[in-house]
Amino acid sequence: METLNGTIGRCGAVRATLIVFAVTCCYAQAQYDLLLQGGHVIDAKNKISATRDVAIRDGKIAAVEARIDPAQALKVVNLRGLYVTPGLVDIHVHVYAGTGERGSYAGDNSVYPDGFTFRAGVTTVADAGSSGWRNFDDFKQHVIDRSKTRVLAFLNIVGHGMRGPKYENDLSDMEAKPAAEMALRHKGLIIGIKTAHYAGPEWTPVEHAVEAGTLADIPVMVDFGTNHKERPLSELVTKKLRPGDIYTHVYSGLRNEQDKSGHVNPALFEARKRGVIFDVGHGGGSFAWRIAVPAIKEGFLPDSISTDLHIGSMNSGLKDMLNVMSKFLVMGLALDDVVARSTWNPAREIHHEELGNLSVGAPADVSVLRLERGEFGFADIYGARLRGDRRLTCELTLRDGKVVYDLNAITRPDWDTLPRDYRQTGDARWDAINPPPARRP
Amino acid sequence: MRIGAGLLALACALGAQPRYDILLKNGHVIDPKNGVNRIMDVAISAGKIARVAQDIAPRDAAKTADVAGLYVTPGLIDIHVHVFLWREPGGEGAQADAFSFRSGVTTMVDAGSSGWRTFPDFRSRIINHAKTRILAFLNIVGAGMGTGKEDDPAEMDAEAAAKTAKANSDVIVGLKSAHYAGPGWESVDAAVKAGELTGLPVMVDFGRINATRNINALFLDKLRPGDIYTHCFSGHREELLDTGKLNPAMEAGRKRGIVFDIGHGAGSFYWYVAVPAYEAHFYPDSISTDLHINSMNAGMKDMTNVMSKLLNLGSPLDEVIRMSTWNPAREIKRPALGSLDPGAEADVAVLRVERGNFGFVDSAGARKSGSQLIVCEMTLRAGKVVWDLNGRASEDWKTFPYQKQSWKH
Repeated sequence: METLNGTIGRCGAVRATLIVFAVTCCYAQAQYDLLLQGGHVIDAKNKISATRDVAIRDGKIAAVEARIDPAQALKVVNLRGLYVTPGLVDIHVHVYAGTGERGSYAGDNSVYPDGFTFRAGVTTVADAGSSGWRNFDDFKQHVIDRSKTRVLAFLNIVGHGMRGPKYENDLSDMEAKPAAEMALRHKGLIIGIKTAHYAGPEWTPVEHAVEAGTLADIPVMVDFGTNHKERPLSELVTKKLRPGDIYTHVYSGLRNEQDKSGHVNPALFEARKRGVIFDVGHGGGSFAWRIAVPAIKEGFLPDSISTDLHIGSMNSGLKDMLNVMSKFLVMGLALDDVVARSTWNPAREIHHEELGNLSVGAPADVSVLRLERGEFGFADIYGARLRGDRRLTCELTLRDGKVVYDLNAITRPDWDTLPRDYRQTGDARWDAINPPPARRP
Repeated sequence: MRIGAGLLALACALGAQPRYDILLKNGHVIDPKNGVNRIMDVAISAGKIARVAQDIAPRDAAKTADVAGLYVTPGLIDIHVHVFLWREPGGEGAQADAFSFRSGVTTMVDAGSSGWRTFPDFRSRIINHAKTRILAFLNIVGAGMGTGKEDDPAEMDAEAAAKTAKANSDVIVGLKSAHYAGPGWESVDAAVKAGELTGLPVMVDFGRINATRNINALFLDKLRPGDIYTHCFSGHREELLDTGKLNPAMEAGRKRGIVFDIGHGAGSFYWYVAVPAYEAHFYPDSISTDLHINSMNAGMKDMTNVMSKLLNLGSPLDEVIRMSTWNPAREIKRPALGSLDPGAEADVAVLRVERGNFGFVDSAGARKSGSQLIVCEMTLRAGKVVWDLNGRASEDWKTFPYQKQSWKH
């Protein structure tokens, strides 16, 4: 491992010269830090699906226009042929890694977010209940505060969070009040309450989660656990959940999402009319073609697309956010619809309306995607394959207006145009990867 | 899915069961150890390479994946990563399994994240539970890397390091000297001493140089043949002279048997060094990533991206594969790895070489265009499919025998 600290400083003079050059030549007139030029913008909130220039200043969207004068920008990136979308919002991940606890989503079953997010165009994730009120502070200190990704969280109704069946089936540790108090203490960071994996026949986990959600005025996300006739899906979505609550793993087929005749359970349509939200939550066990394909044909589309990323899902059918989005493309959804369900829809579901859009003034979280054409295959969690002719890949990701991933170096200068033994080439106003080292006082 | 070996033998005797568990059919096999570079089929049985030949019949295999148009290589070996996740906040380690299989890597060698004091924790929490095969260079600094003790000669206990290396000889494949900023040779000397005590190679990140502590002395006086100089195209240590020519010490070191490794990382690969080195016909022995949380999203990205850089610099594909399989296997003295020998553990990568307009970033953010990109399609570890980008080992969902499956989260 080697960073630039502690390496020899032969290039110090060159570096200083470059800084002076950048400051004197560009600072004066640039109105924008970065201009994304000529891409096809898909912004569901603002109902844009057309070629637009996007200008960024001070980490915020500054202008979205048919043409913006490139002379007004410090850095111009040509994105012709690519799609420019709000930074993707994945509301179902497990990223409470690092506790060392085995067999636990508050531990070794989780992944660290930054290795999966930016390279797949994701700028915001919501952890889906890996932590509860007893260990949220630890999660925050170890992961949330140290990640470059914007990490939000559904708080598990179980005080110990997702530490395994022993904890997650303990009805005595599902207290609404402390969960709601923790959520209110971290308003905006804790964006919902999660109930998950419950194996018993009681409604207690759902009821307490809804109680906590009501106290804290945030939605509940439900992984409905083991299927029980005592607590049928139809009752959950038509009676127990409130409008705005989220049913995840909707294409799992594990809890009668598809009825015996092979059709979507009518209760799901009814619940959708009530305002209950349906989320993908692909994961390692929750997405089957035999459920999803007929559901899409019947017009039962997901409100939000999410991964349920964890160590058991990351290398299987899931892979990453764009792979899951591509699955919906090849099932027939339009790209605009897929992007809406991965940006503006989930942002609204978690009450973060400043995210998931490219409105002027919004944080400049941006994904630049390529729609590849070819022969591709997509596996579900059982290892069954659906062939498709398109796949989304991520070319460029910006978080708060700064480049955090650049697959094909489209923001970078050609090496043979630079001074010999060049060092850092970026500018901290638009670049979070290769900015010159901060000047020391 | 896989049938036990005894049962398999019985079944074969009865003629009822296929001989192979999985057959990779019609791929272009590149197996540098065995000098194979042409279209061949690869059959796998009981986690081992069973046969590499032309025209192996699909009826002999329980499952056949058509890999026509793709390259079939030994599982990639990345001998410079950092995958020691600390228990406490801090550290720069990345999760091995999150980066390995999706880029064809089946073996990772941690390059000195832990020292003899911290190795037991690394082993028990990370190495023993990863699906990736994780081996390790043990840091000569007892406390390990990034601990603020890397410049402290008192931490460089060759005897203690050698003792730990011997006690963990199934995992520890070498010693690491890294980041040393002092004026002397304490770090290198201690690492070489531990290397001599154990018969293991030393990998050097040469830290800070000065008038006497330079690569000429390192290669000709200090290191032994077989020791590994990583970050070889960083330019931080006069690998390239001010004249723009490669330092003659590089060729002299190579003649002595010093091994040159890429170790790309966040700060150790620059086009202005790599291009003149290639023009001087100086190529790396092994390709490695120096994966850590600060390199993963920058110019490095992953193993196949780093390999693509060297492919576009002009190394032929079979040489790039050699630098990523058989060469590193030999460097770490693990000749059972890095090949498709019949009987070898079936670690296999299936790669695609895409043609198009690509760009590759170095550690300064400078771009070099390229026309070829290596993409990982499939990875097998010990005969099991652990990555399958396009579902090539899967069956069509319409005919798939969906059965009642146990519920997984």
